[in-house]
Amino acid sequence: MLIETPDAGLFDELFDADNRVRPHCRMLENWLLESDENLIAEKRREADVLFQRLGITFNVYGEDQGADRLIPFDLIPRVISASDWHKLQAGLRQRVTALNRFLHDIYHNYEIVKAGVISAEQVFANSQYQPGMQNLKLPRNLYSHIAGIDLIRNNDGDFYVLEDNLRCPSGVSYMLENRRMMMRLFPELFAHSPVAPVEHYPNLLGETLRAASLQANPTVVVLTPGRFNSAYFEHAFLARQMGVELVEGADLFVHQNKVYMKTTIGPQQVDVIYRRVDDDFLDPLAGNPSSMLGVPGLYAAYRTGNVVLANAMGTGIADDKSIYPYVPDMIRFYLGEEPILKNVPTWQCRKKKDLHYVLDHLPELVVKETQGAGGYGMLIGPKASKKELETFRGLLKAHPEDYIAQPTLSLSTCPTFVDEGVAPRHLDLRPFVLSGKKIQMVPGGLTRVALKKGSLVVNSSQGGGTKDTWVLEDDLC
Amino acid sequence: MLSRAASSLFWMARYLERAESQARQLDVSLKMALIDVPEDRTEQLSVPLLVSGTYDDFFQHHDEITPQNLIDFLLLDDQHPASVFNYIRNARDNALHVRGNLSADVWETINRAWLDLKVLQKEGVTESNASSVFDWIRERSHMFRGAAYGTLLRNDAFHFLRLGTIIERADTTARVLDIRHVMAMKSMEEQATQSFFEWTALLNSLAAFEAYQNTYGHSLDPTSVPELLILSHELPRSLHSCLEEIAGLLDRVESGSAQRARRMASSLYANIRFGDTDYIEERGLHDYLVDFLARIQRIAGQIQKDYMGWHQ
Repeated sequence: MLIETPDAGLFDELFDADNRVRPHCRMLENWLLESDENLIAEKRREADVLFQRLGITFNVYGEDQGADRLIPFDLIPRVISASDWHKLQAGLRQRVTALNRFLHDIYHNYEIVKAGVISAEQVFANSQYQPGMQNLKLPRNLYSHIAGIDLIRNNDGDFYVLEDNLRCPSGVSYMLENRRMMMRLFPELFAHSPVAPVEHYPNLLGETLRAASLQANPTVVVLTPGRFNSAYFEHAFLARQMGVELVEGADLFVHQNKVYMKTTIGPQQVDVIYRRVDDDFLDPLAGNPSSMLGVPGLYAAYRTGNVVLANAMGTGIADDKSIYPYVPDMIRFYLGEEPILKNVPTWQCRKKKDLHYVLDHLPELVVKETQGAGGYGMLIGPKASKKELETFRGLLKAHPEDYIAQPTLSLSTCPTFVDEGVAPRHLDLRPFVLSGKKIQMVPGGLTRVALKKGSLVVNSSQGGGTKDTWVLEDDLC
Repeated sequence: MLSRAASSLFWMARYLERAESQARQLDVSLKMALIDVPEDRTEQLSVPLLVSGTYDDFFQHHDEITPQNLIDFLLLDDQHPASVFNYIRNARDNALHVRGNLSADVWETINRAWLDLKVLQKEGVTESNASSVFDWIRERSHMFRGAAYGTLLRNDAFHFLRLGTIIERADTTARVLDIRHVMAMKSMEEQATQSFFEWTALLNSLAAFEAYQNTYGHSLDPTSVPELLILSHELPRSLHSCLEEIAGLLDRVESGSAQRARRMASSLYANIRFGDTDYIEERGLHDYLVDFLARIQRIAGQIQKDYMGWHQ
């Protein structure tokens, strides 16, 4: 098959600037050149059928409930060299450590505020700050046990952190199923490539969740909003892989500040809840009173220390886009180290000077809501129409504190199967970082790819797809 | 295990068993309608409606019972709860609800059946390809059982799943025997040659024809057939086998203070185990079966109270 070469000026994961294949990707290129188009087309259909059969489908908000859609899976893996991963891993470890320290700090001693690194207003007036979490002692001082860090590679070849996900990051089941699919479809590829395994993720997750409690043998459950949630497949998948119960709010109840699940032999106490339900919906008595997803009294039980939530409540403050610009300072403040991973330069529209700059340079910037997610409510300046620009100009002037702006980064590209053949498409990377007795991660992550030519939006809700992510154990091949 | 999960597993298995059984009833009735004299055809075709308790419902949608109407109504009608389509949809919904308790093999078997069924529904089923569809449904059901036996831990998840299968099966056997026994008896009085086919139909509806030949090895008679279907401890669909398994499963299920379902099942099992054909004849087969159906339904209700009662 022919491989379309990347656009000049963009970083491509397979080709270098002179359109030569990067040494660690040679086996992948050979495979692509040798592969027959018909065979690949057949394998793509096979993958679709297998994913349907597994039930790896998701619902898009706003579409009919129960309309099961597949996230497009691209057969060409994204390869990360051993040396790149080595650096990423150290950077992720450092970043997540600092973020957990920050969360502990702003709910206890406020040292970072006292030191003037971040203003009190930005922390305490943030709607994501949960005053109820103040002075609550958590085991090992851990807040975000499971973090998903979104990274992109810029045209300078460096990885940048685009966003930290410290609440209920999802997508890890795709990382695992994509690998399983690739091994099933192309076993011969793995025989010749030193691809690091990711299959032990559920083991590490189980270990992390058990370590989240100080009890010797805690009862762990996965709490899901239910089977209409877009990530239900993942919740069930992880529960099964860890051998723990998958519960819904109605399966739990609180009695004398302890949480129990309703079993066939009566109540059984629950010690750790890996919750995939947002803070607001966890307890109708404390959060959204109309929530049917939560457990009345859960918050009180949590405050009493009788149950551990993973992740903790109130982590949203640390992955809020208005706090994001301060993460490098957090690393310096708490760890006394220089950040290993770069942040994307960010203008905070809440600051007059920054807002001025943003309004002047709108057509070249990306504007995001500080609390937006999923690629909704954002403006990509270079791709926006006049009308869209004007709309955002109005929004920025009316509520500058709700927005940040960043330069339009050129996400790296990777060869991808599309209708026209094999062509470069933009992608990002979400590795998952587990914090328990120690910080652990599997070598890999979820690679999302924008399937539309030139598109920079990789979210599955906006037509993005996924790829298997290969971290090489050894670059000398 | 979670009460909700136990309930979903129970119903998932019940619906799949019901789908298989309905396919068998349809298959036998459609074949019988071909060899029956024209005036008896309607009676023959009405059996699956009587077994599923949808005879009156049917006439709200159709004016007369024809093979095609019957296929439309009981096989693929998505508007009507007692179609195979909806049984499999419900089974799949319940399976989705307990994904966490199912092995990948069991889940995929059910999910795949559902995906294929949706395609089948679009393509439509007529009298000419109905048989192969019935075969397909039976095969799905066998695959489900095979996957469950081959891959599930023998824990309470498995026990509740089996309870669903077996309770549904006991219920079906009693209903089919009740309805078809009357038809076979009637044909014996009217036309002797036809009666052979009626007895065969009864046995085939419950996958018991070959078993009968193996056990009795002589011509079909009105006492041996109920004896096999009620009292045999070897036939997998006999009431005896079903109750033996139900009582055994309830003994194995971990239970707190709840004992009622267990007691009720053991008592009914003892009744059948030490029962004989004289007793059944004394009571009258119909009355005997009506009583049995009431008791099996009470056991099913009590299981839900004892183990899944959180929902009430």
